Amino acid sequence: MSDKTQAIFTGDRCLSCTSCMANCPVMAAVKEYRGPKLVGPAHGRMHFSQEDVEDTLNYCSNCKSCDRACPSGVAVSTLNMLQRAEYYKKHEHLRSEDMLAHGERMAKLIRKLPFGATFSNLGMSIGKTLGVFSALGIAGERNMPAYASTSFKDGFPKIKQPSSSKKVVMFTGCYINDNEPQVGQAFVKVMNANGYEVLIDKQFNCCGSPLVVTGFLDEARQHADNNISRILDWKRQGIPVVTPCTSCSLMLKEEYHELFGEEQFHEAATNVYDAFEFLEILQERGEFNSNLKPLNQKLLYHVPCHLKSQAIGLPAQDILEEIGGVKVQTADAGCCGISGNYGFRKDKYEISMKIGAKLFERVKQTDFDKVISDCGTCRMQIHHGTDIKPCHPIEILAKAYQ
Amino acid sequence: MKTSDVIVIGGGLAGLMAAAVAVGRGQKVTVLTYGSGSLPLASGAIDFINAKSPEAAIKDLPAHHPYKKIGTKALDSAAKFLIDIAAKANLPYNGKFGAQIPIVTAVGTLKYSALVPESMDASTLADKKKIFVVGITGLKDFYPKMIADNLKKIFPDKTFEVIQIDLNLLGGRDITCMDAAQLLTDNEQQLANELKALNATADDAIILPPILGIMGNFSRDVVKTQLRAEIFETTCLPPSPPGMRLQRAFMKFLQSSGVKFFENSKVVRGVVEGKKVTGVVVENVVREKIFPAKKVILATGGFYSGGIKMRDFDNPREPIFDLPVFFPEGAENWSNPQLFSDKPQGFALTGIFTNENLNPIDKDGKVLYDNLHVVGANLGGCDKIFERSAGGIAIASAYKAATI
Repeated sequence: MSDKTQAIFTGDRCLSCTSCMANCPVMAAVKEYRGPKLVGPAHGRMHFSQEDVEDTLNYCSNCKSCDRACPSGVAVSTLNMLQRAEYYKKHEHLRSEDMLAHGERMAKLIRKLPFGATFSNLGMSIGKTLGVFSALGIAGERNMPAYASTSFKDGFPKIKQPSSSKKVVMFTGCYINDNEPQVGQAFVKVMNANGYEVLIDKQFNCCGSPLVVTGFLDEARQHADNNISRILDWKRQGIPVVTPCTSCSLMLKEEYHELFGEEQFHEAATNVYDAFEFLEILQERGEFNSNLKPLNQKLLYHVPCHLKSQAIGLPAQDILEEIGGVKVQTADAGCCGISGNYGFRKDKYEISMKIGAKLFERVKQTDFDKVISDCGTCRMQIHHGTDIKPCHPIEILAKAYQ
Repeated sequence: MKTSDVIVIGGGLAGLMAAAVAVGRGQKVTVLTYGSGSLPLASGAIDFINAKSPEAAIKDLPAHHPYKKIGTKALDSAAKFLIDIAAKANLPYNGKFGAQIPIVTAVGTLKYSALVPESMDASTLADKKKIFVVGITGLKDFYPKMIADNLKKIFPDKTFEVIQIDLNLLGGRDITCMDAAQLLTDNEQQLANELKALNATADDAIILPPILGIMGNFSRDVVKTQLRAEIFETTCLPPSPPGMRLQRAFMKFLQSSGVKFFENSKVVRGVVEGKKVTGVVVENVVREKIFPAKKVILATGGFYSGGIKMRDFDNPREPIFDLPVFFPEGAENWSNPQLFSDKPQGFALTGIFTNENLNPIDKDGKVLYDNLHVVGANLGGCDKIFERSAGGIAIASAYKAATI
């Protein structure tokens, strides 16, 4: 497995066929970006051997459409992220990049203050009005995601769960923990309904995805080392790690290994599951609780890029369609454009909205009861682009267990 | 995981065609792809065979040739079906099996194909008096003067004028036809104005690189309605807008018909019970997942696309079902050093042999799996590039496999 998936060894498989170019949403949106073929495998060969800056490297959003388009297994986007890390060894980060990469650090600081979340939400809306974010290099058009008054992990001990010998550890992800704890609560409810007790592990930190895309690779490595040792510890106890965040699951399962290439990263990854992937495995074993209350809802499903990359089919669609009266229609409108913190950068905001335009149009023109998407930043982007607030598919499933 | 009526492995022309035909017959279809398939790299034109009289040529083919297994009935039906799918996406195609429609290539020669996007159909070029060949400033790999010079050899009595127009596409990377087509989508007026300024009449033609949009014929319609002269798109190097338009037409049909389409899904082996395939196994980075199916169509693209691999020189293998692969015996028969001669390449015959239902067979002609069907470039026994039969074999075998 090792050499097969570590990104740095995949560049030479490139045949220059241009499939990645034909599928890159950033290339379709702007003419500046030289594109995945040239920036990833082609320029990557030069970049790792000598200092040679590719000016348009920062246009890559790491949505991974190129990786999925590639017939030869080149980890194009990860090659770009590795080059970005090289670049920042000799160049300073922007303040905005530092902020956007360190959401977890910021949230921890705020939660130490009394009423910290309330005041910081207030501060963010004042900051937005006064143009402070814009001055820092963050897209002034966007609302920064508001903090929940109580984080998921802080509220977790109060959740009453039936104890069970069957356990999973939930990897919450930053966005669910700090901004949308209701997704975490829905996850617990669903797992409980399926006979599992949910544990959390406060020693987990951010998966590192925001760090990787902004070129803080050394820090991302520290996060990876810590998270991997925790996952291996749970693996030894026979307890799987499950996450409802698709970018976290992709990072833990695949990108750590692509970036850093250690065998134990792959070994740990075998103990990690995306939430609906795990539920579908239960279903295949005949252990899924199908005692579901009918909901009669038409759902429009935006499938996150980082879920498509996992090659697990669409387990959320299959499972939600077990609920009486639920019909899931996929949006099929490509990348939403936000790609983690990419769309929050002032100079990438317009690109991000241009990429998302097709999806916004689809959401506005389709008749449905609710939009669903497994990814937190995709949900933010859809909300921002359409004024329609989506939810996580696990929230729909939790309702069916009421 | 719910059982699919049909699983198609591969998302190239054959895979998309098979999925479209199957879902059109009311079946539950899942497509598993690894890589975005051949169409973004293809001209969008479909050839059945390079011959003056295609029907006679197919009749004369040896018994092991894929067309002999597919049968001639599927050729007409497949052509009609493809034209219909494209039309649904406002991508009009001309032609039928047996047609010989000229296309202007990117080097200014004429190539004859059976099914041609209307935007490339240069049938009326011979009737024109003056031909404008339009280059776009900054567009790479497109040389209007070379095109005009070469066309002049074919049409010595016509007047040619080479025009260079600047659509302000520069200011970033080198521009490919795909870039220009994307930039011109919903932004066609400047091009229309520049072409209007040529004052070309109904007796004239304008030849352009294939930059008239990336979806259907929408951009072309905007420009065409403002001109008296006919406009013709040429072929180009990849990424190829005409191929992308056809891919998008298929995708639009598959998505609106409820086909499940999973990218990045590398099928590593089949699940089999005796002579039945009951599902396929997809390997992702950490685990495997079984996709159960009642029928499987193998459209993995043959020798050029990983559908057939050859790690050891004389041992080609089909990696998913380990099907027997035919290849010519003796290294001396593998290659013809005269690349552009009138003889095929030996190695290109490599592929899987089937019965008339396109089920894979072994050396003795025994069927290995009766609900597995092999289509497109996986089929062995002919040099599809030499014959110019790749597109025709792809759509006709896919059509047949999906209708059995």
